[in-house]
Amino acid sequence: MSNAILVVGGGFAGLTAAIEAAELGHDVYIVEKTPWLGGRVAQLNKYFPKLCPPSCGLEIQFQRIRKNPRIKCLTMAEVTGLSGSKGDYTVTVRLAPRGTAAHNVDFSLLASSLEGETPSEFELGLSGRKALYKSMPFAYPARYVLDPSTLSKSDAARVAGNKFLSLDEKEREIELKVGAIVVATGWKPYDVTRLENLGAGSVKNCVSNMQLERLASPFGPTGGRIVRPSDRRAPTNVAFVQCAGSRDQNHLNYCSYICCMASLKQSLYIAEQYPETHVTIYYIDLRAPGRYVNVLDKVKALPNVSLVKGKVANAVQAEGDRVRLTVEDAVRGEKLTLDYDLVVLATGMQPSLAGDKLPLPLPLDEEGFIAGGEEAGIFAAGCAYMPLDVTRTAQSGTAAALKAVQTVKGR
Amino acid sequence: MAQCTLKPDTDFTRALKEAGGESLKKCFQCATCSVACPMAPANAPYPRKEMVWASWGLKDKLQGDVDLWLCHNCGNCSDLCPRGARPADMMAAARNVIYRDLTEPSIIGKWMSKPSGLPFLFAIPAVLWLIVWWIRAGFNGGEWFPRAADGRIVFGQIFYGDYTIDPIFMLTFFGACFILARGVMKLWGMFKPQGSLAVIGKTKSWIWHLWDVIWDEAISHRKFDDCDDGPAVTKSAPNRKNGHMLLVYSFCILAFVTAVVALGHWGGKVIPMIKIETPMPLTFPVKILANIGALMLLAGLAILTWRRMSLKPADQVSSYYDWYLLGIIWLVAVTGVLAQCFRLADVIAPAFVVYYLHLVFVWMLFAYLPWSKLGHFVYRTAALVYVRMYGRS
Repeated sequence: MSNAILVVGGGFAGLTAAIEAAELGHDVYIVEKTPWLGGRVAQLNKYFPKLCPPSCGLEIQFQRIRKNPRIKCLTMAEVTGLSGSKGDYTVTVRLAPRGTAAHNVDFSLLASSLEGETPSEFELGLSGRKALYKSMPFAYPARYVLDPSTLSKSDAARVAGNKFLSLDEKEREIELKVGAIVVATGWKPYDVTRLENLGAGSVKNCVSNMQLERLASPFGPTGGRIVRPSDRRAPTNVAFVQCAGSRDQNHLNYCSYICCMASLKQSLYIAEQYPETHVTIYYIDLRAPGRYVNVLDKVKALPNVSLVKGKVANAVQAEGDRVRLTVEDAVRGEKLTLDYDLVVLATGMQPSLAGDKLPLPLPLDEEGFIAGGEEAGIFAAGCAYMPLDVTRTAQSGTAAALKAVQTVKGR
Repeated sequence: MAQCTLKPDTDFTRALKEAGGESLKKCFQCATCSVACPMAPANAPYPRKEMVWASWGLKDKLQGDVDLWLCHNCGNCSDLCPRGARPADMMAAARNVIYRDLTEPSIIGKWMSKPSGLPFLFAIPAVLWLIVWWIRAGFNGGEWFPRAADGRIVFGQIFYGDYTIDPIFMLTFFGACFILARGVMKLWGMFKPQGSLAVIGKTKSWIWHLWDVIWDEAISHRKFDDCDDGPAVTKSAPNRKNGHMLLVYSFCILAFVTAVVALGHWGGKVIPMIKIETPMPLTFPVKILANIGALMLLAGLAILTWRRMSLKPADQVSSYYDWYLLGIIWLVAVTGVLAQCFRLADVIAPAFVVYYLHLVFVWMLFAYLPWSKLGHFVYRTAALVYVRMYGRS
């Protein structure tokens, strides 16, 4: 019997759940697949409701974690097995080798001197990263990661002598005893390569909304300048393609809830950087839930933003690396074929568990969202359960923590 | 803003659903379909507007909609449709409802619209040809399966051209032509916009536009290729061009052969030189052409049937109209070929029975043409002429 709680996933939902449970006096383990906490929020430039940079909200959470000895963070870790029953689970966790010393060593100089490079997962392919890397300045844990497969020959020689780096650290497995589990595995952007009529990811200067967040982020590949990836020039006209793969039975058969607000937010980024740049948002229906309608009103009032009802159903490459969109303006009944400097596909949220096999007894619905499991003491939080914004993600994290606490209370 | 009051005709929406558009209410007007369609023009593209008209039951709008006939039913719109509303099937259903209601007597349209009407449709020619058979059997001394004087099987013994087949089929043919012509006039009237229409620039007679349509579209089947030029679709559907082309050309060949035989027969009475005796020997050029036509017909049918059977129901569904037309052409082709085979194999009873069925099915094909999907070759041509005349492309 254990009154510890396992939180799978270190994004906003998982962090909230972990902190809430720990602050109620429970031991908590966070198992995070990537090297750092923060999840998708960490990749954003700004996030709702207050349009703060992610460092703002995450910083507070990281502080609470740092100060709370009950929380153990396992990064680069994955749950590989589960046995036992509600209240008395034994979880097997596999820890991938990180290759760097356990304390925070500043490798920035060494890292920048390395040669080998590979596309950065964090920057969604917009730039490369070295073999020794830390994706964001406010990363927690603030440790670098050493990826031996990216080392060039001379890199390897350089790294070999460093006493804080290890090339032969092995993967290992540990066992944790917990009473309840919170699953906050979050979401992934829908794979644009499946959107064949929207260019399948092969059209230059046709980026996803998450990529635009990276372009707008001061820590991103362009230092926060929103430019065309192909030539780093400022765009003079930008189009947003809403429901790129959402509300579509051939792709994601549901509304992802956040993409309308994301595009409205991003049109604010663009209007702020380039007041002259024209922005067009092509939509089926614009969804601005609750108080977000104020943001919609704000965007509508911008002189260079147009909102056009009609779903873009074709995107191809045009001259000058521009993107040619075809869309029917459904109000006027006209089929438009227009070229844009930059096109943003407002792709939706797919649950990370879709197409994945988690070794937990969790029923998933046909889209990959968690649909049950509570009777086994396993509680879903955040976008693993349904598409949510950050506010509601935090609320769902708290809710899951309270359920988990009640499950293990008094044991 | 101008106000207008819409009068939804829910019966019409229901009729569309029954005629193959059962998913039309799933549409949420995203307009993907108008882009998916490579043929839809920039101005007032289709089929999104048709989907909302259908959903609202705006019968007048759809009946007078020339775009229904510009659609060649490639199914791109249904493939990309995010809701599975299947716009392509709705367009086909709207055409079906027009076949049903366009011309009198409307009872035939009703019979044609559902399987329960089949017995009536079959009974009319079945009784007709049975009476002919019965009368002619009387002429042959009560013999229902007579042989010619030289012992051959000659269908003309029973179904004698001069007095039976030719008059009946000529009446049927010209009757169908008359009904089709009335249908086209009516359709044309519905296409015309309300009020007056100013046409600027050079105009030419509809005859020349008809010539252009036949030359530019019907013969080349160009639009079927245009159909495939839409946005990339992950689903692949078998192309209809080859099947449809084989079918159209075989119909042309068979019509030509029929005309030649008719000319040889009737003209032969005046100018003995061009007389053609039936049955023609297998090596006779006209017979060879006829058999080539029959083989092309079977091949085309096989391709189109296979295509319909391999359609995924989520994207495209074949309606009763589709299957009726394919079915009746199959029956015409199979009974035609079998009648010849039985005749050559000298099995007299099956030969006559199958030939009788052949006549029944051929009559069904022609007499009911104005209410069947086959009517599209006239109505669609009329619509294509109309759009050329009024500058929509």
